[in-house]
Amino acid sequence: MNNKSKKVLVALALLVCGTIAELFYLQHAKAMSEEAREKKQLFVSLTSLPDLALSTEATFVRHRSLSDFFSIYKDDPSLREYFPSTFAISHAKTALKP
Amino acid sequence: MKINFYLIEFAINSLLRQRAKNFFIFFVLSLLIFVLASFFFVASSIKHELQTTLSALPEITIQKLRGGRHVDIDTSAVDKILQIHGVSDAVARVWGYYHFENAGVTFSLVGIDAYEMQYKESLQTIAESFSLEEGKPSMVVGAGLYEVFTQNGYEEYFNFLLPQGGMKQIAVAGVFDGATSLESNDMAVLPKEAAREIFEMPSTKATDIVVKVANPEELPTVAAKLRLLFPDARVITKEDLEVSYQNIFDYKSGVFLVLFLVTLLTFFMIIYDKTNALESEEKKEIGILKALGWRVDDVLQEKFYESFLISFFAYLTGIASALAFVYVANAPLLRGVFEGYSMLRTPFELPFVFDLQTLSLVFFLTVPLYVGAILFPSWRVATLDADEVIR
Repeated sequence: MNNKSKKVLVALALLVCGTIAELFYLQHAKAMSEEAREKKQLFVSLTSLPDLALSTEATFVRHRSLSDFFSIYKDDPSLREYFPSTFAISHAKTALKP
Repeated sequence: MKINFYLIEFAINSLLRQRAKNFFIFFVLSLLIFVLASFFFVASSIKHELQTTLSALPEITIQKLRGGRHVDIDTSAVDKILQIHGVSDAVARVWGYYHFENAGVTFSLVGIDAYEMQYKESLQTIAESFSLEEGKPSMVVGAGLYEVFTQNGYEEYFNFLLPQGGMKQIAVAGVFDGATSLESNDMAVLPKEAAREIFEMPSTKATDIVVKVANPEELPTVAAKLRLLFPDARVITKEDLEVSYQNIFDYKSGVFLVLFLVTLLTFFMIIYDKTNALESEEKKEIGILKALGWRVDDVLQEKFYESFLISFFAYLTGIASALAFVYVANAPLLRGVFEGYSMLRTPFELPFVFDLQTLSLVFFLTVPLYVGAILFPSWRVATLDADEVIR
């Protein structure tokens, strides 16, 4: 095998090792710790409100699983969806239930 | 099948001969994989976060509707609910939104039962610098909300404007732990009486009622009984929430994905089209190889190594950079899709989840497709007579 091919294969091996090392690092440093999990669960059981505070611009986005169909109109009757985040997070499917 | 190292060497050298072209393909493919994987990683982390807290939620939430709109429910309903067999607890909740006009921020106010013993203990575990003065209404706020308060000069207390005019001063007793910031960032937890005063809600009313059911098997029966008992109410079970979470990135993110897939398919179509009308030089190469005695499967094996190498390199580069982008750099630019333009920003530190499903989904969406787009045209040329190809 010539030098060039060896170099390419070594680069591939390094890339595989690097990706695996990155996965290990993230698993250790960035995964949810048991303590954080317990705290989160404690907080949610305290407030019993389920949704994430990622987007807070509108009530139906913030507490989406408890939003009703009309909460979209409450913000503005003419515009149904104009927040960028509603392209990813919309009102709950439960909102359509009677 | 035995791995033929000579063929691999030949494939690598063949790739390096057309360095510029192959590097460009590698770059575009890596970029596509990077965008696709980043989106999937963010989505799976958010889903994981939601699933983690799902078990801590009460089994049923009852909201009263009038004309399809949510209105306050009578607290007397709690006694009726408690009489249903299987219900272990029912609590009338007081919660809502408060618009802080100075900062242009809307946050959530949650009333809890006047700092009862169990609540006190939980609060002490999840709140930093928690100090409670007896007899004085106080609240515990999320980190983001506290920042907004301090920016506006409210470090120790906050003045809520009451609906009928006047102000209600509530002391800030503590800030929620940073670990809970994805849930607590824009929330203030305060005694129920204070919340009622701010919302001007009489003590006979509540925002909604949460019901705990000890035995999960009884949940559908209890929910059905509640629907019969309160025909005007919306009964949301934990199962509904779960289904709702599964749909969180529903058709709209589907549109995003479809648009993306169109891009991906266009890329493969270009590759396919380009190799299909194989440049005379590449065609000639295959012809010469055949004339030298290579069989069809030798040519195909060599082309397979070539295409697999380039797409696997691109896959690894795309995945590795997407992981760093989402979990180390906290997804700049992409976070805008999920955050919107809310004034109260949550630190976008998503928990890392090793999601084999996402990794394999991205792999099978890209690598085999690319290999196929290269192999098929090569096979068509390789099956022709060498003499016909070279000429």
